[in-house]
Amino acid sequence: MEQADILALPRPKWKAEYLEDTSLRRLVLEHYDREHVPLLRYLALLGVDRETSRELVQESFLKLHEHLLNGGDRSNLRAWLYRVAHNLARNTQSAFRSSKTESLTGSEGAREPVSEAVSAEEELLAEERVKCFREAMNQLSLAQRECLTLRAQGFKYREIAEVLNLSVSTVGENVARALERLKDLL
Amino acid sequence: MTKSDHLPNDSLLRAIDDELAGTEVVLVESHLQRCEECRRSYQELSHASARIESVLAAVPIEHYPEERERLAEELERCQTKTNLQGSEKVLRRFGWGMAIAATLAIGVLLLPGRHARIPNTTGVSEARSSAALQVDGETFIPLPYSNPELPVSASHIVEMRISASSLADAGIVFEPISNTASEQDSSVLADVLLGMDGQPLGVHVLRQ
Ligand SMILES: [Zn+2]
Repeated sequence: MEQADILALPRPKWKAEYLEDTSLRRLVLEHYDREHVPLLRYLALLGVDRETSRELVQESFLKLHEHLLNGGDRSNLRAWLYRVAHNLARNTQSAFRSSKTESLTGSEGAREPVSEAVSAEEELLAEERVKCFREAMNQLSLAQRECLTLRAQGFKYREIAEVLNLSVSTVGENVARALERLKDLL
Repeated sequence: MTKSDHLPNDSLLRAIDDELAGTEVVLVESHLQRCEECRRSYQELSHASARIESVLAAVPIEHYPEERERLAEELERCQTKTNLQGSEKVLRRFGWGMAIAATLAIGVLLLPGRHARIPNTTGVSEARSSAALQVDGETFIPLPYSNPELPVSASHIVEMRISASSLADAGIVFEPISNTASEQDSSVLADVLLGMDGQPLGVHVLRQ
């Protein structure tokens, strides 16, 4: 697996949790570095507000650590992460309350967030596109939005089905319906 | 699928996404070859898809650098909890503030050959393989694969049971078990010195 995977190092198998755990912690942070922004994007597109997303992302990675500690399956940790984040979001009452992608709009938050630096014009243009996109996305059902977003994150239909607990054919239909609707709106 | 039936959008999209199942590939491809209307739909969907993906990727996402630190701390807390729960493990932690002591930390001491046999592996480990580590008045047999650059002051000592075979793999062989295959599964109680990278630096066998 990843470079920092302790098991991949040429060392004997120490049957002690402690040693395992330290490398797992590193593995979790590696996944965090790679996936936290895409995960935040996914949650935002589902309509989860920023503060909730922040908590959900933290919780998802803590659960990943727990999963690894318990010797859980490592074959597709990325899909695993999305599934957990997704289920956490589902269970959070406020998360899907609006079911609109409002969280893509403003910066009403208290803390100073970090986003990529762009020129003022580019920012305006991007803002306009995002606003337009948000409106278009709101025309879609939640399942369509979920499927479309995961597809855009590079997941195969089979993986999306796994994350969302749907059949592969349903995923295909949702993506197709979503695209049909969006292509005329964008 | 007859000639008059056009391809549904989800078939076209699966073709774009390379998600067509076995027999579908032939059907869809042959239809596309002879039907201009479907080819046009395919192009349209393909463009729409690219457009949507570029907008999606352009959605600015705010993230907070302090969140990573928070996660790292939380993970460490989980780890400490796990360790304290282990009945056979006692974690003694040296203060991280003791970095100043790093300079005097690596006590070099020759270990009598009868205690341990350490294989020569890489050049780096060879340089250290004959030197024992002295920490907190305790002598550790260095392990061949540990990072010699790490300061010993920022280390932990963990008491744990280690299987004799693990020790043997690390090149540390104890007289009673080295020759008997039947005792392969036996274990010893040992203090393991862990470096700040979490990798074991050395072992001090307490009793067998
Ligand atoms: Zn056709």
